[in-house]
Amino acid sequence: MNRLTCEQTFAQLDDYLDRELTPVELEEVEQHLHLCDECAGEFRIEQEVLDDIRRKVRRIRLPAELMARISASLARL
Amino acid sequence: MADAAATMEFERLLAPVLERAYGVALRLTRDPSDAEDLVQDAALLAFRGFGTFERGTNFKAWFLRILTNAFISARRKKRPEDEAVSLDAPPSAFMQHEARRLVGETARPKYEAAGDVVREVMARLDAEQVVAAIDALPEEFRVVSVLYFLEDQPYQDIAETLGIPVGTVRSRLHRGRALLQQRLWTTAVDAGIVGGAA
Repeated sequence: MNRLTCEQTFAQLDDYLDRELTPVELEEVEQHLHLCDECAGEFRIEQEVLDDIRRKVRRIRLPAELMARISASLARL
Repeated sequence: MADAAATMEFERLLAPVLERAYGVALRLTRDPSDAEDLVQDAALLAFRGFGTFERGTNFKAWFLRILTNAFISARRKKRPEDEAVSLDAPPSAFMQHEARRLVGETARPKYEAAGDVVREVMARLDAEQVVAAIDALPEEFRVVSVLYFLEDQPYQDIAETLGIPVGTVRSRLHRGRALLQQRLWTTAVDAGIVGGAA
């Protein structure tokens, strides 16, 4: 397993946040984050930003009559 | 006349996923009325192809694939040539990048001070401003970002939904996210939440 530099770890940021790293890559990144407060802090903030965006974008109000409109159009088939 | 049992089964599967489907449609079309039309069109298409839906598999994923493709093919008809998107790619973690420049020299570790600025920005940006920033993304970045933020779909699923390679999903998503942060930061500067570039 490689020991990553801060730069190499930062290059994995997006894939790490998206849970798209291989098990070996994940272990390498986590090992670095365990030892480096600065990178760990940066990664934590990025995770918070993504979670906040996700929460805000998911506030959806479904139009009350949409299901009824769909049912009516299916009934016309 | 449609088969009554099939209609009932279809509606039973559709009802619980409708809110999320409408949410995806709303962010794709950026217009409530167009979003309703898109969901309705997708429902008709899905019902016509209901025979191909494998019972016991993920209905929501199947329906969202139909909805997303209905949106893309309708857009292609309106706009046969995809406009080339040529944008400078902002760095990853754009807001932390800008916040570090803003905080300058501090007694605390810079990443902590910059992190606090980013937290403050996100706390003060409301849902409408975040949605507006997503809506302003160029379409190729917006579509993958919508599937990512609303549906938490892994790259492979987004790739299958859109019929594009996983590597393309990855690069569009990473770039789209950096562009989104750039827009959120600009919104925060315009709203006076943070100071602009010196």
